[in-house]
Amino acid sequence: MEREQLILKWLKNELNHEELKAFKKLEDYNDLIQLNNALETFKSEEYNTAEALDLVLNTIKSKKTSTSWIKNIIRVAAVLVISFGPYYYTTTLDTKYSTDVAQKSLIELPDQSIVNLNAQSTLIFNKSDWKKEREVNLSGEAFFKVSKGSSFLVKTKTGVVTVYGTEFNVKQREQFFEIICYEGLVGVTYNSQETKLKPGDSFLILDGKFIAKEKENNLEPSWLNNESSFKSLPYKQVIAEFERQYGVNTTLINVDKNQLFTGSFTHNNLELALKSITLPLHITYSKTNDAIILKGE
Amino acid sequence: MPKSIQENICEERLFSSIFNKYAKDLHNFLYYKFGEELNPKDKVQEAFVKLWENCAKVTPEKAKSFVFTTANNLMLNEAAHQKVILKYRQTKPKTHTNENPEFLMQENEYRKKLQQALANLTDAQREAFLMNRVEGKRFKEIAELLDISTKAVEKRIYGALEKLKKDIKEL
Repeated sequence: MEREQLILKWLKNELNHEELKAFKKLEDYNDLIQLNNALETFKSEEYNTAEALDLVLNTIKSKKTSTSWIKNIIRVAAVLVISFGPYYYTTTLDTKYSTDVAQKSLIELPDQSIVNLNAQSTLIFNKSDWKKEREVNLSGEAFFKVSKGSSFLVKTKTGVVTVYGTEFNVKQREQFFEIICYEGLVGVTYNSQETKLKPGDSFLILDGKFIAKEKENNLEPSWLNNESSFKSLPYKQVIAEFERQYGVNTTLINVDKNQLFTGSFTHNNLELALKSITLPLHITYSKTNDAIILKGE
Repeated sequence: MPKSIQENICEERLFSSIFNKYAKDLHNFLYYKFGEELNPKDKVQEAFVKLWENCAKVTPEKAKSFVFTTANNLMLNEAAHQKVILKYRQTKPKTHTNENPEFLMQENEYRKKLQQALANLTDAQREAFLMNRVEGKRFKEIAELLDISTKAVEKRIYGALEKLKKDIKEL
């Protein structure tokens, strides 16, 4: 048998009696045995499996508890977010009041200032920011009675009204921006220019142009008493206001929309109101359901 | 075939049995391949902790390969591979001895040479050879642990033996 085969069999402990004899006759038999015996001293340290397993299991458990600790914190945080999130969200949310056609609304602001909102108007303000700055966004028409305090801003698409005093009316409609001051002092910023209004003063921008108006003698706007009044204003503004107050559609035939109208109409009686805005101009009217046709001569 | 699909080793009992089965072999494999310097015990521990962290993904059949590969990589990451000098124990001085001092000295000389020669083996040769000679592992067992064929184990071990003999003579 070949040397290599013998040595392999010896390594595998598979030598039979005959083969063992042959193996012992190999010339390097002594070297092999010496080598083999010496190897014994290179044995690794005893490995204690049970001890090592304990160590591993401990490591695993300590990791597990540390992650579950973090998980708990995340859970608590999630609960807080869920419960206080909506509270925070709703308290910092803007408050919005809107009126529809033929509707008026009385609003009390956080500082007990009072706002009368005319038909088809929207007022937006933020309760949580109120202490820092008194600021409302207005589209439409409203009358303000502002209680004393720091500056009070009324922002509209057309311009900004700064309040120094107490009572004023803001009307911002299509091509129409009017502020009338009834008490105290009001500043109007239009095209980044501020105009100050004293009681009785008014500020009117019509179709982008400034219109001078005579002194206002009433103590408050007439619409608060359910009456709209106009002084030398284009007829289309009158019709627009009429539509807002009664929630109707009007069609004009043969009527000059830009002729000036002075007068007023009530909000409570359609028949009467129609008469007030048509008779002076010699206009006839006819009514079908919600549609109203105005015919000029 | 055992149903390995439903089983995973996240269960402590199964995990422990796998540990008991392979930890010692893994330790010895690392020890003979890389020496004691790189802390084979720590690497065994790390590899099994990693196994636990991935227990949902590793089937029991794959567990052995997983820990062997992981531990091997941990070793390789640790440091540029240097020569592996294995320690040998001094034979305890016997109280009664027939051996003369000269023989004892020669024996010690021989071990130093053997140590040097072992360091000159390739990692593959050394791990297979010592697992067989020192730990008494059979060729087939070594083949299974290392995921190689029995023939390859034979080749490594025989090659190692021849090389050691040659080196010792030359030294």
